[in-house]
Amino acid sequence: MTVTEPAPTSRFVRADGPDKVTGSGRYAADLTLTGVLQAAFRYADVTHGRITRLDVEPARSMPGVLAVLTAADVPDVRYGPFVADRTLFARDVVRFEGEIVAAVAATSAEIARRAAAAIVVEYEPLPIVNDVEAALAPDAPLVHADWASYGAADPIVRDRNDASYASITKGDADAAMADADIVLSSRYVADASHAAPIEPRAVLAQWEGDKVTIWSSTQVPFDARAGVCETLGLPANRVRIIVPHLGGGFGGKCGFHVEAHVAALARAARRPVRLVFTRREEFVVPDRRREGMVVELTTGLRGDGTIVARTGRVIIDNGAYTADSGFFSQLAAMHVAGPYRIPHLHVEAHLVYTNHQPSGSVRAPTAPQACWALESHTDELAAAAGLDPVEFRRRNVVDTGSEGPSGQTYDEIGLRRCVDAATAAAGYGRDLPDDEAIGVAVGWWPSFTAASGAFVKIDGDGSAQIVTGAQECGTGAVMTLRQLAADELGMSPDDFQLVYQDTSVAPYDMGATGSQTLFNNGRAVVHAAGQVAEQLKRLAADHLEAAPDDIVLADGQASVAGTPSRTVSIAELAGIAAGGELLIGHGSGAPPSAPALVGSSCVGDVGMAAFVAPQFSCHAVHVKVDRDTGVVRVLGVSAAHDSGTIINQIGARGQVEGGVMMGIGQALTEGTRYDDAGRQRNPAMLEYKLQTCADAPPIHIDFVEIPTPDAGPRGAKGLAEAPNVPTAAAIANAVAQVVGRPVRQLPMTAERVWNTLTGEDGVS
Amino acid sequence: MSLLIATTVDDALAAMAAGARPIAGGSDLVVGARHGKAPLPDSLVAIDRIAELRALDVDTSGAVRIGAGVSHHLIESHPVLVERFSALADAAALVGSPSTRHVGTIGGNVMNASPAMDTGAPLVVLGASVELRAVTGSRTMPIGELWIGPGRTAASPDELCVAVHLPAPASRCGSAYVRLEYRRAMEIAVVGAAASVTLAADGTVTSVHAALTAVAPTIIAVAGLEHLAGATVAEAAVAVGDAARQQATPISDVRASDRYRRHTIAVMAQRAVDAAARRAAGERVPVPVNRALGIGAATGGPS
Amino acid sequence: MSELIGRELTLRVNGIDHPVEVAHGRNLLSVLRTEIGLTGTKEGCDDCECGACMVLLDGEPVNSCSYLAAQAVGREITTVEGVMRGDELHPLQRNLLDEGGVQCGFCTPGMIMSATALLARTPDPTDEDIRIGLSGNLCRCTGYARIVAAVRRTAQEHGVS
Repeated sequence: MTVTEPAPTSRFVRADGPDKVTGSGRYAADLTLTGVLQAAFRYADVTHGRITRLDVEPARSMPGVLAVLTAADVPDVRYGPFVADRTLFARDVVRFEGEIVAAVAATSAEIARRAAAAIVVEYEPLPIVNDVEAALAPDAPLVHADWASYGAADPIVRDRNDASYASITKGDADAAMADADIVLSSRYVADASHAAPIEPRAVLAQWEGDKVTIWSSTQVPFDARAGVCETLGLPANRVRIIVPHLGGGFGGKCGFHVEAHVAALARAARRPVRLVFTRREEFVVPDRRREGMVVELTTGLRGDGTIVARTGRVIIDNGAYTADSGFFSQLAAMHVAGPYRIPHLHVEAHLVYTNHQPSGSVRAPTAPQACWALESHTDELAAAAGLDPVEFRRRNVVDTGSEGPSGQTYDEIGLRRCVDAATAAAGYGRDLPDDEAIGVAVGWWPSFTAASGAFVKIDGDGSAQIVTGAQECGTGAVMTLRQLAADELGMSPDDFQLVYQDTSVAPYDMGATGSQTLFNNGRAVVHAAGQVAEQLKRLAADHLEAAPDDIVLADGQASVAGTPSRTVSIAELAGIAAGGELLIGHGSGAPPSAPALVGSSCVGDVGMAAFVAPQFSCHAVHVKVDRDTGVVRVLGVSAAHDSGTIINQIGARGQVEGGVMMGIGQALTEGTRYDDAGRQRNPAMLEYKLQTCADAPPIHIDFVEIPTPDAGPRGAKGLAEAPNVPTAAAIANAVAQVVGRPVRQLPMTAERVWNTLTGEDGVS
Repeated sequence: MSLLIATTVDDALAAMAAGARPIAGGSDLVVGARHGKAPLPDSLVAIDRIAELRALDVDTSGAVRIGAGVSHHLIESHPVLVERFSALADAAALVGSPSTRHVGTIGGNVMNASPAMDTGAPLVVLGASVELRAVTGSRTMPIGELWIGPGRTAASPDELCVAVHLPAPASRCGSAYVRLEYRRAMEIAVVGAAASVTLAADGTVTSVHAALTAVAPTIIAVAGLEHLAGATVAEAAVAVGDAARQQATPISDVRASDRYRRHTIAVMAQRAVDAAARRAAGERVPVPVNRALGIGAATGGPS
Repeated sequence: MSELIGRELTLRVNGIDHPVEVAHGRNLLSVLRTEIGLTGTKEGCDDCECGACMVLLDGEPVNSCSYLAAQAVGREITTVEGVMRGDELHPLQRNLLDEGGVQCGFCTPGMIMSATALLARTPDPTDEDIRIGLSGNLCRCTGYARIVAAVRRTAQEHGVS
């Protein structure tokens, strides 16, 4: 099709806005059905144990209980996108505190909870794997004794508790290190953290005959459908997932969670069943925790501060099951290499089973922690080389035409311009009181390429619809599709209604994951709208007695180019089409392909060593440290991003502001603590501290806009995850300047900062 | 299973004599019941619409009677309390969020007897007493004698806290409450300290009192500060900090280690003495001290 | 007069009396959402820690998750559904949309209630006033900047009566 360059619509209007500000918009927990039952789960009572007795009779016999299910009541299916290590209900062994042993549907939530508690479960204790490093020891107890028998995706390399091993090797790192003028090693440890969307998840399921409709607060409805189909043995066309408004996700609602449990309960009870998570369940149950991580890095420099070699080892806490985390090891390896020119590299990463909640994609998985470790290490390197940290980065970061750590050569990229913009906006280098400092970090993140589809149609009255598989999780990415279609058709975004988040209506889309909505579904919508535009041009050409190629669509009109008086409204054309060939476009388009790698070898390669349309960023953060207590306060953030063309300015700024704020939380106050048995000690909003409005600093944003070939619509890259990558790292570097050395644990809580100040952080 | 919405203290006392449990805002009880800490009592009496309990009176001597149903919001914004009983206003302004400050009351706070309550340490240094009433009569006791353990008070189940009394402060007396917080709102004290300082004309200390939050099973007064009469403010601040560190018996929990609490309680106590002395000297230090000077968290706010 | 409240009670919500029958100990949030059918008020944490359940009680902000429904008898309850002026968006609602202060929207009703209470009490708030006034409402999407901007703009327009 013809690629046009329409004038972007400047004003952004959220189609879902009025629903959301008036309270009329419905979220999953707002829905109910006549005769609905309420569900409750019985979770594991121990974090690792073999079930020796499971008696559900006390629950079944309770008045008001209509269904009780255990593993015995559902197909014996072991599932998982990378490693098939999971079952809907515990089979024989429980491996973390949030594991579902049984499910109950009852006439009230209270009865369901009491019935779930009445189920008798006895366990033979198994050794608890609580330390991710110890879990790699050859004699460590196994989280999955039968790991070798599990099915797994082809590229995944596994060994005992190591669920996914990856390495990137380029050149000869050991030899180059031996020749380096300066060699420096660092070790960093990051705690697990959480997506913590404000909406806890909810699911409502209803069967009609052999078809089930499931309303779910998922970010990935097609993934959820696939999970239900796989675990309950159903074809895709008998499972319909509908997502009402979604109350945020940040990755926490990616993947397939409890939809199948609720559907199975509804089938057994022959009634609709509803489940609404408490905040505690939202913290403990989903396989979507941000992974804890241990990072060890050694880098060799020439005397002038040029990086010549790096070796690194990353150990990632996978938790008890492998959700979508199979690609984390390779992605973490890329992030500890970083957007630097490194001729000799050997980094390896292990994704290691423990008896913790499973890890899964939370906004830029692995990146904020790995970037924090790498960029803290980078400031240490700069100091060792006697260079200013920003100057050190200018000398070593990748630039247009240079080769990245894994051997990818970049088209025009804006990383250096990001460094210039962020440091200038922050006033880097100015005099500050000795308890204040500005820290700088750079980050990167891929765009994700995936199949995606959409329909665009214009009805007889000239009003239009976009029917899309894409999922809106709040970012505004789906809302922006109206803008793309409108620009393609010379109409206004307000002319389009969105029909979305219904797997039985729209074509496939990967969902609100990987910052991919506008990147991939935008392409699909542009294609679909382009088809309708061609139809309109043919109709207009007939009507106006001109050639189709001479028709211009603008301002709701079709006109003959150069002859504005020869014009017909799109609404009139739609009326004509309604009596003949209907105005319908369907789009998908070919996803961009992965760039080539030269000179490196990757073990456990799941395609993450080459970044499609890579995004770059630099954050400069001004902090103040209370030296007496270690409390850190962020006074200002300057964020510069190369995410290609920005299509929706308001939406894009919102992603940066939100991502930065989440990054501040991860840096300072958000960390999951475990007890000796691997149970979370702080699964509540009071003890797991998100930043409040009173903590929010001013955030300055620069977009370095470089239209990127082989990317999304108009040269756009992804955006939603990238702003979450370098904030914690930049804060760390500012804190280290005040404290005199880095805080080697994340989050950098007040107590940890104080321990570092007093030299009692246990790190030499 | 019932709720009596009482409009007089007598009605409330009668209900309590019959076994009802009083609730003001009810947050602690409702949240506690839902989290399975304690079932909601069958019989409740709501005391939030009793006019006598909502009153805050200043008498001609400068003493204050704060009805048990007075909200944190009223305390943080009442000019007399802000001016002359600043430590209490500092604390009230830090409680939870704007909504919890509207719903939460001084009486509910005091009777909940949490060692982490923000208003407790200020009440101790301000010499507060608490007025308890039952159908059988009333009694008043120093606030420090009310708390006998975490969540436990010396009041009997039929006794209602009706008011907190604060004696008039001496001239050239100032007070402050400072708490360690990890974020600027929605916090619970990791540790906190209140101080009240009276200055002589030459700027030396006439007397100093201090009390500590979240470092013992109850709010505790710092003992043995009498010898600081005649000391400079700087000397007194250091001495109070040292005494706080020694007298604290903190626990380790998910919020902080005992070691870190023991260190930061000294910092908070020292800062509380400093801020109280500045107020005693007539300097206007806005309420709450934490946000005015940034001394609970680090200095500086969004510009 | 003291009043004994049983299972049958009347709640006045957005100017309309709603007779409801509720079990002892039910919180206001669940009664609003289920018996009265106003689902705009959200449940995010059930512990006064997120602010999604914020409503106004006689004009003051209250976490309805932790407030007994029976205790609200005789008080004027305002929820997000009661904020519009006829068929028109309240200026605060409009400004939240225009400034980009709405993303997932789950915190939005609670934010609107806290901001309404703030502007009623402090018609000309400083940015610090706004930040403290909204500090009981967690938002994970926006970083708060656009929400603060919307409240500031509403105050500047004198849009709140």
